[in-house]
Amino acid sequence: MTTNIPHHDHIELSIEHSLDHCIKCNICSSACPVSAVTDRFPGPKYVGPQAQRFRHEQQPSPDESVDYCSGCRVCNQVCPTGVRIAELNARARGKIIEDRGLPLRNALIARSGLMGQLGCGPHAPLANFAFKNSAFRWSLEQIMGIARAAPLPTYSTYSFRSWFKRQSQNSEPRPKATKQVAYFHGCATNYYEPHVGQAAIAVLERNGYEVLLPEQNCCGLPLLSNGAFPAAQRYHTSNVEKMLPYVKRGIPIVGTSTSCTLTLKEEAPEILGLHSPEVRLIAENTFDIFEFLRLLYERGELNTDFKPVDRTLPYHPPCQLRAHRVGRPALDILELVPGLHLNESTADCCGIAGTYGYKIEKYQIGMDVGAPLFDFVRSSGSDLAVCDSETCRWQITHGTGVPTQHPIEILAAAYGV
Amino acid sequence: MGALALAEAGRRPLLLSKGQGATHWTGGTIDVWGDTEGNDLREVLRSLPASQPDHTYARVGVEGLEAAIDRFRALVEAANYPYVGSLERNTLLPTAIGALRPAAFFPVTMAAGDVRQADEMLIAGFHELRDFYPPLAADNLQAQGVAARGVYLTLPPIKRSLEFTTRTFAFLFDDPGFREQIGEQLRKERGSATRIGLPAVLGLKDPVGAMRDLERITGAQIFEIPTLPPSIPGMRLFQIFRNAIAHVGGRLQVGSEVLRGIGEDGRLTTVYSEAAAREQEHRANYFLLATGGIAGGGIRTDHTGRVWETALGLPLRAPQSRAEWFEPRFLAEHGHPIYRAGIATDDGLRPLDAHDHRVYDNVVVAGSLLTGSDPIPERCYSGLALATGWHAGQLLRIED
Repeated sequence: MTTNIPHHDHIELSIEHSLDHCIKCNICSSACPVSAVTDRFPGPKYVGPQAQRFRHEQQPSPDESVDYCSGCRVCNQVCPTGVRIAELNARARGKIIEDRGLPLRNALIARSGLMGQLGCGPHAPLANFAFKNSAFRWSLEQIMGIARAAPLPTYSTYSFRSWFKRQSQNSEPRPKATKQVAYFHGCATNYYEPHVGQAAIAVLERNGYEVLLPEQNCCGLPLLSNGAFPAAQRYHTSNVEKMLPYVKRGIPIVGTSTSCTLTLKEEAPEILGLHSPEVRLIAENTFDIFEFLRLLYERGELNTDFKPVDRTLPYHPPCQLRAHRVGRPALDILELVPGLHLNESTADCCGIAGTYGYKIEKYQIGMDVGAPLFDFVRSSGSDLAVCDSETCRWQITHGTGVPTQHPIEILAAAYGV
Repeated sequence: MGALALAEAGRRPLLLSKGQGATHWTGGTIDVWGDTEGNDLREVLRSLPASQPDHTYARVGVEGLEAAIDRFRALVEAANYPYVGSLERNTLLPTAIGALRPAAFFPVTMAAGDVRQADEMLIAGFHELRDFYPPLAADNLQAQGVAARGVYLTLPPIKRSLEFTTRTFAFLFDDPGFREQIGEQLRKERGSATRIGLPAVLGLKDPVGAMRDLERITGAQIFEIPTLPPSIPGMRLFQIFRNAIAHVGGRLQVGSEVLRGIGEDGRLTTVYSEAAAREQEHRANYFLLATGGIAGGGIRTDHTGRVWETALGLPLRAPQSRAEWFEPRFLAEHGHPIYRAGIATDDGLRPLDAHDHRVYDNVVVAGSLLTGSDPIPERCYSGLALATGWHAGQLLRIED
């Protein structure tokens, strides 16, 4: 396996112990949404703890089907004995990429920062036109293997960071807040959905926080899930350096992209085996935004001056949020809003799984995985769905035609902003 | 059951679990006691204290058990998955290898498997479904005087060709078209058999409908035989409980193992569950602990002979030394002492220490984490789980 893994590395320990811990009960296989719909992935037990018996640093990988693991982590959640199957799979994929190199398509779509810079800005209409153009998408599929039907997001004509800079220069100086948070916006908010970041700032300010915007880059999760570990490690190390000064001053990091916050908290440290005190400090002080708001609520510090929102909306807790293992913080907070009712989906996954559903060979699998969720959203009859993760929102809208918002946008509306 | 009782009482319980286990491992029958002599189970349980005064059933009584079973049956009935059976005597149902297994209650989809009926059985399965061998089951049943014959069915052309689990088959049986095709094959294979046993994979959506469809086509009674895990009947129960608890305001958080708890003045105040980067804190007025015994992960042991409770570190009643864990014979009639290890409680299911002092006033314990029984040889795993879970929930809902 990957070298230089320190001894206290959970995943490496789990790899060592998994043959003992896995009791072969197949509960993971009966929960996996991917093996439910395709023969290409035999299920978490086989490619995880089972294939692990045959993986050796000096040997070729025994099981290429591991590349069809979408990384949704349902297997981890349901395992009665605590085997970290998703991480075993991620590292097994990393080994395959280490041996054979990263395909060009994956190298491109895994760099969401680069992809974002490409089309965000005044020229966004042009980029959006191209990405919506069927001839262009057809050639993109033929040349690059990016599924032509997959839901590429719409570029924003301005980046979140440029807006933030403008508004802090233009707006009246606010009364100095005593409390501060550092906001991790992620690529999606910066290049495609600045409104999510604007909602987050409005909500945090309503709660008496000054929002600081640290320099940051892509969290590296798309690279991690494509097995490009050295690049992912550079991204993470860079983010740790940029945010460390804030955390050292006692300022928590709050993010609206639940996959980015999970990466800072756990994915990068655990999959890459990074355990320096700095990495740990960032991990321990990073919060998904609703997790943070729930902490405020538990301490009696949340501003609950909500206007009634008389709506019943379908809500999907995305896999990446569930992987935080903190319950349903968005539900806990939004149920405080008078009149608002969220119906939680029990669907396992929307199928997009980051970059997974964009790949031509996996697009249909992603759509089949998402089918129960699409049914749930469509049958709700609602004209709006709610989900904490950006790619999942795009996939839900793609699969149902129903616009999908981040729960922070709903909360901002409840504050009347 | 405990969470359901509390959710129904408007207590908005949060259910934390390390993973999925008990439901997905159970065959789906309600095993109250492993009596094969045709005795009234209520009488058996009433006489139990004479030989085992500290048995777990003594904490809930026959009335407690009956109340739990009533609630459970109403729950599954409402989900269109009715259970049948009786406490008057166990029914003997065939297992996947043709052994006879006593059960008090079972899904209606298993009812026609009652081996005390004289009707001839056809046991049918699929080569693609591992660990279910119809000829083996039929031979073993035949050897025990049950008229049975085993056949393999041919899978009609389907999208899947490589990996077959119980879930793959359950998805197939959810499709009425698939049932038609299998029903036709069964009708041709039926011969003189008037009932047909199939692995318990007749769908996750509407197993009773699947059974009725197959009965209509074949003209025979259809019954399910529990398979190895993951158990489709167990997965149906998981869905039913999950939906019922959520429907009345409870919350389920699967994948969040409770690692520790802290308390003061004899009350537990906070538990901490495993989560990304840091533990998650949960505060509550009351706690119901049902993490299971040694098999379920609520109790751990190590090679030094240490035996401990994993969630809160509560005191256990367990053999003092490792030498006392096991009987010399593997299949010892009364099981092995280590499997009786568990938490001792007062009448209110509150945990006691070695000196019989209450550890926490606001914690109740349910399921196989309780000492006093060994559910595997006694065959009372699901009966005790239902009875103590429901009872524990009732104890907490009358608090305050």
